[in-house]
Amino acid sequence: MKELVKFIAQALVDNPDQVQVKEIEGEQTSVIELKVAKEDLGKVIGKQGRTARAMRTILSAASTKIRKRAVLEILE
Amino acid sequence: MEFQEFEGKTTEAAIENACAHFQVAPEQLEIEIVSVGSGGIFGLGRSKAKIRAALRGEPEESLLPLAQEILEGLIEKMGESAQITAGQEADRINLKIETEDAGLLIGKQGQTLDALQYLVTKILAKKTRRKVRVSIDVEAYRARHHQALAHLALKYGEKVKRSGKPITLDPMNPYDRRIVHLALQGDKDLKTMSRGEGLYKKVVISPVRKRGGQEDAAGPS
Repeated sequence: MKELVKFIAQALVDNPDQVQVKEIEGEQTSVIELKVAKEDLGKVIGKQGRTARAMRTILSAASTKIRKRAVLEILE
Repeated sequence: MEFQEFEGKTTEAAIENACAHFQVAPEQLEIEIVSVGSGGIFGLGRSKAKIRAALRGEPEESLLPLAQEILEGLIEKMGESAQITAGQEADRINLKIETEDAGLLIGKQGQTLDALQYLVTKILAKKTRRKVRVSIDVEAYRARHHQALAHLALKYGEKVKRSGKPITLDPMNPYDRRIVHLALQGDKDLKTMSRGEGLYKKVVISPVRKRGGQEDAAGPS
């Protein structure tokens, strides 16, 4: 899951080397924390949160496959 | 393709400067407006309009393998396996996915498919610095969905005519709303309008004679 978020985020930002993704695994739910360069924040969130929402949708689809839940948090 | 910045008093002037620089007509330029600039008050706080421009005309075909690669990468990282074929149609890139688990990639009301399509478009735009329309389909889902939605629209249309009362449909994305509007466009006894804010609006189907509600957001959007 972590790799998925990293793949998407790195492809969207201007500073891919500053993309940090941390996965905090729980029993059923894992929290995935995404951190990007300050000027790239808008790129991973998108207009009215559209990009963030698309990432979350894809993340939930991917996690149902392994019978888990994943929550994406974008850190400022 | 490299973008260069140009300035001018107005955006039009900036575009003229860009055309002069590249020695081409404005149609041949890909233009992004950075800031529109402002006249200021009595010459105070005046700022120039700024645009970014680059030459158009890179062959679209070179984008196909790239688009395919991006989608393959995404699906692989989702832990799915799929076969992707890419094709081109006018100004649009069509990507077709063949997979065993189509339902997962389509998602509820095509949400996952839409998300994939949106992200591939964005990533492609980012990599190539140009906007290309990308359409992603799994097992002809789009065509089936289109048919089902048009059918639904007609069914509700009949219901509205019988009862004479407007019906509000569930919130839909712009593409889906367009399908509904178009399906009922030819019907003189009905009118459709989108209502609400943001990406997902509701379509209201109402009979023509009796006015239903305020027309706050009329027409297809």
